[in-house]
Amino acid sequence: MRRLLLTFVLTLPLAAASAPSLLDILSDELQRNFTILKQNGDPPPYYMDYTVTDEESQSLSASFGTIDSHSKDRLRYLDVTLRVGTPQLDNYHSVNGQKGRFTRGEVVPLDDVPDAIRRRVWLDTDRTYKLAARRLIEIKSNQEVKVKDADSSADFSSEPPATYQEPPPPIGSIDEQWSERARKWSAAVADFPDVLYSSVSLSAQRLSKYMVSTEGTRLLHGRNFVSLSIVARGKATDGMDLVAMQDYQAADLAHLPPPAEVEAAAKRVGHDLADLVQAPAVEPFVGPAILSGRAAAVFFHEIFGHRIEGHRQKDEAEGQTFTKAVGTSVLPSFLSVVFDPTRRTLDGIDLNGYYTYDDEGVKARPVTVVENGVLKTFLMSRSPIDGVDHSNGHGRRQPGLEVVSRQSNLIVESKKQVTEQALRDMLIAEVKRQNKPYGLYFDEITGGYTTTQRRGLQAFTVIPLMVYRVFADGRPDELVRGVDIVGTPLSSFAKILATSDKPQVFNGYCGAESGQVPVSASSPAILVSEIEIQKKQHSQDRPPLLGRPIDPGATK
Amino acid sequence: MKYWLLAIGLWPLAATTYGQTPSARTASSQQPTATSDTLLRAMKDEIARVQELIRLRVGLDPPYYTEYRVEDTVSHSITASLGALVDESDEAFRVPSVAMRVGTASFDSSDHVYSTAYAGNRYDPGRLPLDNDYLAFRQVFWLATDRAYKTAEDAIARKRSSLKNMTQPDVLPDYSSAPPAHLILPIERKPFASDTWKKEAIRLSGLLDAYPKVLSSGVEIHSSQSTNYIVTSEGTELRTPEDVAYLRVSGHGMAPDGTQVRDALVFQAFSPDGLPSEEVLTREIKALGEHVTTLSQAAVGEAYDGPVLFEAPAAAQLFVQLLGDNLKVTRKPVSDPGRASRYSPSELENKIGSRILPEWMDVTDDPTQTQFQGHTLLGHYVYDMEGVAPQPLTLVEKGVLKSFLLTRTPVFKNYPGSNGHARMTGAYGTRSPGFGNLFIRASQTTPAVDMKKKLIDMCRDRNKPYGILIRKLDFPSTASIDELGQVSQAAGGSHPVVPPLLAYKVYPDGREEMVRGLFFHEVTTKSLKDIEAASDENYVFDLIDSNAPFALVGAGSFTTTSAVIAPAVLFEELELEPAKEETLQPPIVPPPALTGQPANTAAARPSIDKPSRGRQGAVSN
Repeated sequence: MRRLLLTFVLTLPLAAASAPSLLDILSDELQRNFTILKQNGDPPPYYMDYTVTDEESQSLSASFGTIDSHSKDRLRYLDVTLRVGTPQLDNYHSVNGQKGRFTRGEVVPLDDVPDAIRRRVWLDTDRTYKLAARRLIEIKSNQEVKVKDADSSADFSSEPPATYQEPPPPIGSIDEQWSERARKWSAAVADFPDVLYSSVSLSAQRLSKYMVSTEGTRLLHGRNFVSLSIVARGKATDGMDLVAMQDYQAADLAHLPPPAEVEAAAKRVGHDLADLVQAPAVEPFVGPAILSGRAAAVFFHEIFGHRIEGHRQKDEAEGQTFTKAVGTSVLPSFLSVVFDPTRRTLDGIDLNGYYTYDDEGVKARPVTVVENGVLKTFLMSRSPIDGVDHSNGHGRRQPGLEVVSRQSNLIVESKKQVTEQALRDMLIAEVKRQNKPYGLYFDEITGGYTTTQRRGLQAFTVIPLMVYRVFADGRPDELVRGVDIVGTPLSSFAKILATSDKPQVFNGYCGAESGQVPVSASSPAILVSEIEIQKKQHSQDRPPLLGRPIDPGATK
Repeated sequence: MKYWLLAIGLWPLAATTYGQTPSARTASSQQPTATSDTLLRAMKDEIARVQELIRLRVGLDPPYYTEYRVEDTVSHSITASLGALVDESDEAFRVPSVAMRVGTASFDSSDHVYSTAYAGNRYDPGRLPLDNDYLAFRQVFWLATDRAYKTAEDAIARKRSSLKNMTQPDVLPDYSSAPPAHLILPIERKPFASDTWKKEAIRLSGLLDAYPKVLSSGVEIHSSQSTNYIVTSEGTELRTPEDVAYLRVSGHGMAPDGTQVRDALVFQAFSPDGLPSEEVLTREIKALGEHVTTLSQAAVGEAYDGPVLFEAPAAAQLFVQLLGDNLKVTRKPVSDPGRASRYSPSELENKIGSRILPEWMDVTDDPTQTQFQGHTLLGHYVYDMEGVAPQPLTLVEKGVLKSFLLTRTPVFKNYPGSNGHARMTGAYGTRSPGFGNLFIRASQTTPAVDMKKKLIDMCRDRNKPYGILIRKLDFPSTASIDELGQVSQAAGGSHPVVPPLLAYKVYPDGREEMVRGLFFHEVTTKSLKDIEAASDENYVFDLIDSNAPFALVGAGSFTTTSAVIAPAVLFEELELEPAKEETLQPPIVPPPALTGQPANTAAARPSIDKPSRGRQGAVSN
């Protein structure tokens, strides 16, 4: 068994060493198509690139001490970018907030057989070219009849070509050892009568990206993603559906916490769910609160991060909260925000938003977007905006969708740091000052969402899991359930009073126009003078009518 | 537009339902006897608790029928193109389903547009453990039963409210009775020779490298082995295998005007060993290469109204669509007044006792048959999905429509019970009918070799410069969505029939000329009366039928295997016409030259050694 495993590991670097042959095939076909289309196409393309994303995935899921699914898969997707017109005005120009979609993530062979790959690439180039040529006519005729865009920047920036070849390291195998662990962990989380549904899911993905462009870019890069999550779901007697969870992300299976630690976490998740079922439902409340580092990180990702994505600044349909705000104060002066895709880890935790090149082949780099509260710049793809002519390596997408500017590793830095205990004391002081019975502590959170467009309320939501009342009179904290945070972006920032000195990382996947991209957000805990919460709308369905089959009397 | 950030753990469950080769633990546990079968035991023990649910008296209408079903499947798929592997996947899954009817058989919770709509959060995971764990199995069924019960209680209330103040023309009972069935068959899982088949798929796909006019192509090999479990509150207990393997080949080319042309091959069998031999596959794929090459240079067929000869397998493919599909009758669901429901009636609904075929033709469905002239019939089954055993069923006698394919849900007053044809999952809490082995028989026949002469004679009599011969239809369809749109458009308001893949003009001197781009116009069940002659040879056409329109490959949520046994037929008059839509111009860039260059061998995939398989005794289609 061990020997087999070794052979497996040893063969992979070999495969990787010969990998450039795919780059050669792509490069040959790119040059051939570009040359002929430039000669005979009307309009001719001025830029093309091909990206092949090779996804090797493994996953496993367990519940109630059993494995209920496992998979292993490998697929290659092709994205074709083809620009007709000029960099000033091309087929990717957005009209009334609508951008054309040209790529579709065509599946291409896993074997580097030139005939097989070139035929698929050629057909998909033809399909893309036809869409691009048609779209350019639509864009040009729209320009004739509409008022000038407020932002007159170009559609495509010039960037230096990149050449770099470093395949991601081999990824270990989710083997029987992991199945055995997953069974054990899933049994631990399910060991609470209130847990109706639970699962332990483990996945590992090795992602290699091959890119060639007509500007001379030639890249092979990528990374690995490992995710382990433990979820428990249940229902309170009033019908409210409840969730507790714990998840871990890493760049390697070996970076996950030791099994004993995960097992303890699994027990805690089950316990948390049981506590939530018993907890009182929350009442509407306005008052001071602490957001844990992870909760604060999601808060910044939603209300701030999405609003400084470059392409939104020139999209007339967008709210454009910060478009004209460069050089002005947008956050408390003790806060800075950096997006740093080059950062692999923070406090020993692998960051999900790490990459070396973005999906337009632009080298990743740290970008300070807010320095001492003052907005400096935006997250940029190769689509320039007024005042920012170049990409800063944040053009990202999921295969099959078009690139837009996206977040990477958001890192909140604070100059007004106090210890966690001091922050809690400050909360209690604030509760007393505002003459409230209690403040809130948002501990665990699953994510959030926001609306950035003009139509629709400019608001955000974070989805809290574990929220506690912190009493002014020294009573122990009390877990509550059914909390929804409501807020609007600009007013929320002004209410940040201080932060803790311990950053926490939230790793996840962010969904927007260009699909799901891996990101992280890190922040110390923050104290806010005022947060508004409302009762969550919930199901009226009763918990199961019969007892569990596992309980005495139900089992034969 | 909303943007979101989520921790990975809350991703939809569906994302992780792919399966790998089953672990040793799963595979070795696949030989249980009836008493040691943990899954069956868990199903029986948990369904017994429905009695407790009845005793709780929560809703107004107690459950009177509960059914647990499990589809326990291991499957393997390999896709290759031009000598390169494109995808390989192995899956293992056990899908549970619980169907519950509350009320009584004369009026129950089924057959309302919201019969299966559940508003609450779902707690049953939608899949069973792959490990054989009795309590974990019961946990899943417990939660699924709870949801089914709440859904049924909601549904019957909604149904009563929808029917309030409405008069129904015919009040039919909602469910007919059937005796409990008992059949526990052994489970025999054979390992899939994935390495051998991978090599074979790559080799077969590479054959098309010799045809530069074939611009895109692919070979897909799939094998799935399933065990179906059904346990009902009426005492039915079934454990039956349902294995299927198929090999599909597609080849696309382009006419000079930019129109896509294509041919497709589909072979299926109960197991990979039943697929055609290497020799036959090689020959058929080369023929496909030739067909696409010829089609890419062929002229577009002109509008035609005259005699049409359907040779094998086209005749069978036409019968499946015109007869097979229209013999599957379902009931119109109850809906709120004034609200339309998704329901399309059969063209034959009011034709009972009427002549729909020539007097010298009969149609029967006989799932009890396993062989026909040495061919294995894929439409054989012992019990249907409602545990009803099918018998030979006369559908058309001397040209007159006698019956339909029926399930336990009554559709017509005069046909109260099932005839054992519940073959697919249906809408609104019911099962859909399907055929097994559909026999189209002619008592007046023409020697097969004379059929073409007969076509020529008919054309001569009618002063037609040529007749049309169709050798293959696109059924089950492998068309793109765009192409299906054209099919519907050409049909001219009638139920569309898929177009020919291989159609020829036949000139008086017997010369054949391939034409492309023809679609059927107004070809319906009424056209069947115009059958002029049938051959004395019958052809077995087996297929994977599904609940998707045109049995569209890959589109249905449920599939089943069937067979049609039919002679070649000559129609006195049918209409065909070319597509009316504009097509995209051909590519500006010519296709890349084919080099036959293999993959860089250093890039070979790591693979797992598996025993190779012998391939003898393959049956040709």
